[in-house]
Amino acid sequence: MAEILFPALFILLALGVPVAFAMAISVFVALNFGSSYPSLVVVKEMFTGLDSFPLLAVPFFILAAEIMTGGAVTLAILRLAQSLVGHLKGGLGHANVLSSAMFAGISGSALADAAGPGAMMIKMMEKGGYDKPYAGALTMASAVVGPIIPPSITMIIYAMQDQEVSVGSLFMAGVLPGLLITLLVMVANARVSHVRGYVSGDPMPPFAQILRLAVHAIPALLLVLLIVGGIRFGIFTPTEASVIAVFYALLVGMFVYRSLHLRDLPAIILRAAVVAGAVLLILGAARAFAWVLIIEGLPQFLAQTIIAWDLSPIVFLLAVNLLLLVFGLFMDPLPGVMILVPILAPISLALGIDPDHFAILVIVNLTFGLCTPPVGSLIFVVASTANLRPSALIREMPPFFLALAAALLLITFVPALSTWLPRVSGF
Amino acid sequence: MKKLETLFVTLNAWALILMLSAMALIVGANITLRYTSSHSLSWADEAARYLMIWMTFGGAGLILRIGGHVAITNLQDALPARGQRILRACLVIGLLVFFGFMVHVGVQYAQRMQFQVTPALRIPFLYVYAAMPVGFALLIVHLLLIARPFITAGAFKPMDDAAEPLPGGARG
Repeated sequence: MAEILFPALFILLALGVPVAFAMAISVFVALNFGSSYPSLVVVKEMFTGLDSFPLLAVPFFILAAEIMTGGAVTLAILRLAQSLVGHLKGGLGHANVLSSAMFAGISGSALADAAGPGAMMIKMMEKGGYDKPYAGALTMASAVVGPIIPPSITMIIYAMQDQEVSVGSLFMAGVLPGLLITLLVMVANARVSHVRGYVSGDPMPPFAQILRLAVHAIPALLLVLLIVGGIRFGIFTPTEASVIAVFYALLVGMFVYRSLHLRDLPAIILRAAVVAGAVLLILGAARAFAWVLIIEGLPQFLAQTIIAWDLSPIVFLLAVNLLLLVFGLFMDPLPGVMILVPILAPISLALGIDPDHFAILVIVNLTFGLCTPPVGSLIFVVASTANLRPSALIREMPPFFLALAAALLLITFVPALSTWLPRVSGF
Repeated sequence: MKKLETLFVTLNAWALILMLSAMALIVGANITLRYTSSHSLSWADEAARYLMIWMTFGGAGLILRIGGHVAITNLQDALPARGQRILRACLVIGLLVFFGFMVHVGVQYAQRMQFQVTPALRIPFLYVYAAMPVGFALLIVHLLLIARPFITAGAFKPMDDAAEPLPGGARG
């Protein structure tokens, strides 16, 4: 069936059929022409994929981020980031990267990162004398940390596919790689700013003012500690953490920043429901898709083949990097995780690779795929929110591709980046 | 007709708002109960999960309307205007057939499960699994409503009460 499944999927995707429907249709086609299974199995798998308590964390984290990112919170984070690094050469660019990292602690998705504070930063950078396509490319590169610094929707889905990891351990594992990516993107920005002469007009604000801005941003930044700490100490499960995040966001928005009004709430909830619904539908279809691969015995077959090659773990990881980067050119992270993790994770475990290390490698790789053409959702989102042509954005990407590739190699060769924090915190 | 369409979209949107709010309130209430008393609601997890299933299928049509389903349009964009329109017309017809098929298998599946009841709420599974045929029927209606602007210009219809453009999903 797999020989029908994949060609059918690629043809449908190329024609422009939405991803969720393309996956479901190719599963039906493969079942009808390649097996004796009834179509109802697909329906059953789609329901099984959605009928899950851990999965509830996805709509809740999306809702919490939608509530949090109302004007005042985003502004508080942007101001803090700018006061910290705004005075450096290429300062506004650095502020863009730093605010993305802080924002990643509120939202669990790269696209929300790019669309919210990213769009505001592009405007500010353009006013500050930066080339607009460069500002857009920088926003794309820095938004990559959204699902790598906790919370993360991709990690929730990953933990559902691989029993060897937990949401809590992945959240911890993502912190250092996320900060590393942030740092390397800043290095790339410093280099480009030096060459092009992007200077900063602002002097460094007095310490007292930075402190005031930091205090103002604390309620927003506290969310990530609440989530990670609560899960680590067993106070609540990841799903419960996501609901607590929703109510925390409501309280902070209404009583601390006072920018959230009850009358705005229905529109915010609707936006979250729409975003979450699109994700969940893809996940249901991807579950049916992955089910076909599993009954075909593809994971076992590939596992036996690859283990028989007797690769060293590092060669295997490099090969996985390559495979995922190619896969990421065409596929978004969530269906990527659903389809590839059941195949790859058992092999990596058999080769003695730490499951947290492998998970971070897969997630970082697939997330990079969001800013590579031809299919990169980040390119699409930044291009449409900032009114830029995708080709102009891509032309500005090379320094950032270099930074991201360096991050990937470091994450591959230094397992401690991903495993140290989960271990010392007791996962 | 225009009024009817607005009413339909508004009702669909409010159904989603209520479902997502109910999910958060139910799970939130359950956590509060567990910490303030030793009780927890045995049906809470189940109700939240089934609401999520209904939200997913019940929202698919509205998401289609505003162009929220991720699709790859590189090939479409590369075609000449006439070719684009022909391709999009074929897409609409193909999707209508697929949605119709999903209504059909969805009804079959729901009927098969109608005599089983859910473990905690003890409602027939029929009411859970009906989400799929209902959702795909809504998809048919929404697709027919946007078929004309979609085929002629590849355009969708933005939501009235969402002033900002959608962040394009949270796919990663």
